[in-house]
Amino acid sequence: MELIPLLKQVELFQGLTAAQLEKIVAIGTHRTVPEEAVVFQQGSAGDALYVIVNGQVEIRFDQPEGGSRAGLYMGAGQLVGEMALLDHGPRSATVAAVGGEAAFIRIGSADFMQLCQQDTAIGFTLMRNLAMDLSFKLRQRNYRPSSGD
Amino acid sequence: MIYKVSYVVQGGEYPGGIKNEIERPKVGDTVQIGRTKFTVTEVHEIMPARDDFQFLHATIRPQFDEAGT
Repeated sequence: MELIPLLKQVELFQGLTAAQLEKIVAIGTHRTVPEEAVVFQQGSAGDALYVIVNGQVEIRFDQPEGGSRAGLYMGAGQLVGEMALLDHGPRSATVAAVGGEAAFIRIGSADFMQLCQQDTAIGFTLMRNLAMDLSFKLRQRNYRPSSGD
Repeated sequence: MIYKVSYVVQGGEYPGGIKNEIERPKVGDTVQIGRTKFTVTEVHEIMPARDDFQFLHATIRPQFDEAGT
């Protein structure tokens, strides 16, 4: 699979040149999961971020009374797993494919951080874009629409 | 242009979603979030556009609400 055209459609990689994107491709691996398969589990160690390149995922949160509830759905071009990559904490939610197979680019935390340190121009762009993505998610979570009545 | 869209469901009973779209969503459009189909009822900019991306909020309503079921 040709990854560069896919990466160009992902906000995380906006502002990177073709040569810089090649360095991302070098540390990324393509992964596909079937419908309903769990990509990672809440509470597990976070060792990678995932860029959704195809399909849709459900973000599930464990409930105190048991079970879990869906909190958000995310589609192509979105990031999952970036919080644990940044803060080294456990996964804050479970992520599972819904509505069909989902495909990802997986980038390991150690490779990601090493690339950011070795090439600080790439590092600046990725960290700025990660901050933008987290800002967007916070705005999405805080937004309360009018009732529409 | 790629439209990064925050879909928020009226009433808060359903989870919303975040998707990249190649066309700007319009009021009346149908969108599938998770296993449910919704109708777009409102669209506005969430923050200024940057590079090839425009950032939007879309308020949506479940379609079975419209059928009165």
